[in-house]
Amino acid sequence: MLSRRLMILATLAGSLFLAAARPAHAEDSGNPKQFVSNLADDAITLMTSSGLNDAQRNDQFRKLFVGSVDLPVVGKLVLARYWRIATPQQQQEFLKLFEDMLVLTWSNRFKDAAGNVTFHVVDVRPDVDQGVLVDSQILREKQQPIPLIWRLRQTDGNWHIIDLIVEGTSMVFTYREEYASVITQNGGKVEGLLNAMRRKVAQLSQSRPGAAAP
Amino acid sequence: MFGSNPATTTLVAMALSIGVLAGCADAPPESDPEARAEWKRLNDPLEPSNRAIFDFNMAADRRVMKPVAQAYEHYVPQYGRDRIHDFLDNLRAPLTFANDVLQGDVDGAVQTFIRFTFNTGFGALGLFDLAGEGGVPYHSNDLGATFAVWGAGEGPYLVLPILGPSNPRDAIGMAGEFFVDPFDYRVGQVGQTWAVYARAGSDGIDRRQAALAPLDDVERNSIDFYASVRSLYRQHREAEIHHRDGVAVPEPGYNLTSAKDSEISRETN
Repeated sequence: MLSRRLMILATLAGSLFLAAARPAHAEDSGNPKQFVSNLADDAITLMTSSGLNDAQRNDQFRKLFVGSVDLPVVGKLVLARYWRIATPQQQQEFLKLFEDMLVLTWSNRFKDAAGNVTFHVVDVRPDVDQGVLVDSQILREKQQPIPLIWRLRQTDGNWHIIDLIVEGTSMVFTYREEYASVITQNGGKVEGLLNAMRRKVAQLSQSRPGAAAP
Repeated sequence: MFGSNPATTTLVAMALSIGVLAGCADAPPESDPEARAEWKRLNDPLEPSNRAIFDFNMAADRRVMKPVAQAYEHYVPQYGRDRIHDFLDNLRAPLTFANDVLQGDVDGAVQTFIRFTFNTGFGALGLFDLAGEGGVPYHSNDLGATFAVWGAGEGPYLVLPILGPSNPRDAIGMAGEFFVDPFDYRVGQVGQTWAVYARAGSDGIDRRQAALAPLDDVERNSIDFYASVRSLYRQHREAEIHHRDGVAVPEPGYNLTSAKDSEISRETN
């Protein structure tokens, strides 16, 4: 069906956001490499630590996630031109649902990946807009490493994730094309996307009890 | 995508004719330049027929390919699957080498040559990827990529029956490889055509097995599975052809400065 590497995407996508959780304690905000590897460490600790039930784990994951991803910017980039035709109310609801979607998706993926992969930061290089790209690798036993690039921007003096690029595949771009398609199929109405997202979030929360937002 | 095989040619021809026969999606009106730009970027004027073929593929997958791949995963241990996978990779090496050369990729060609001779000789006809363990990694290459390097455009997005996401350039490349694959050619010559089918079948099962978890994941987490797969496939294929080092990163494709003002635009590729 699809190319093998493409298939790998989702798996690694799982491991991407494993690193996308941010600890509650203050980071060394000046060093993007440190920011990324701290995230990975904290997320691994969270996902493998005993003594937490599923609900607590999901709750903590959400906190880390929201703290390290610049969700408003990512949301705008994903909704793109539809952001402007959305009402302020729709914009807010979109951001909330998008957060739920991401947290549910990535926490599930991360749980599956934790223990099967290791992660290491390779390099950091400058990006446009005073941002940086952090090159990292996901290592799996006896298989070629998967390159994962983090696109970071500084907001209020702290680094935040605005995109993840796995083997040339941008998370933001993929969501944008998917959501544009959903909106088009709903007669160009943002409400159609919001309805579909509500259903998806409900469905995903059901399959992992306790994962939904309180 | 799949290795070359006789069925490929038929399927490609079928898909191309279905694409032509089926109605095209209507482009947005001139009065909406943004919608037109988006439509152009998605590169899917045959979306209605592509979606129909995609649904057909998924139905066929649920009934046949997926259960077979699951059984393969269940009954054949990892070690055995690795041997089969390495063997199939090695069978493709001559074609990969030819494409490396056609693209002027000297490093790639040298690597493929070393891998093929070493793995065929010392790795029990390719059952063991010793070269890979020795630091000469596998890379894929194909005729569609060669056409791309030579400057051919991909053409509209195309979902092929059974074979999945593609485009005319890659579909023609895939069909073309069928006629020049040394292994298929040779076994055909000595009247052992069954081996061509056996190889194509094993290749399909090997790939589908590797895709089991990831594809389930994408399906579970998307609202529009078709659109997600289309986007992932096209981005990945683009990177595979133009950013082989895995280091190059696509342009952001979005204007962050203006994103802050909610004025988001994406330049065309």
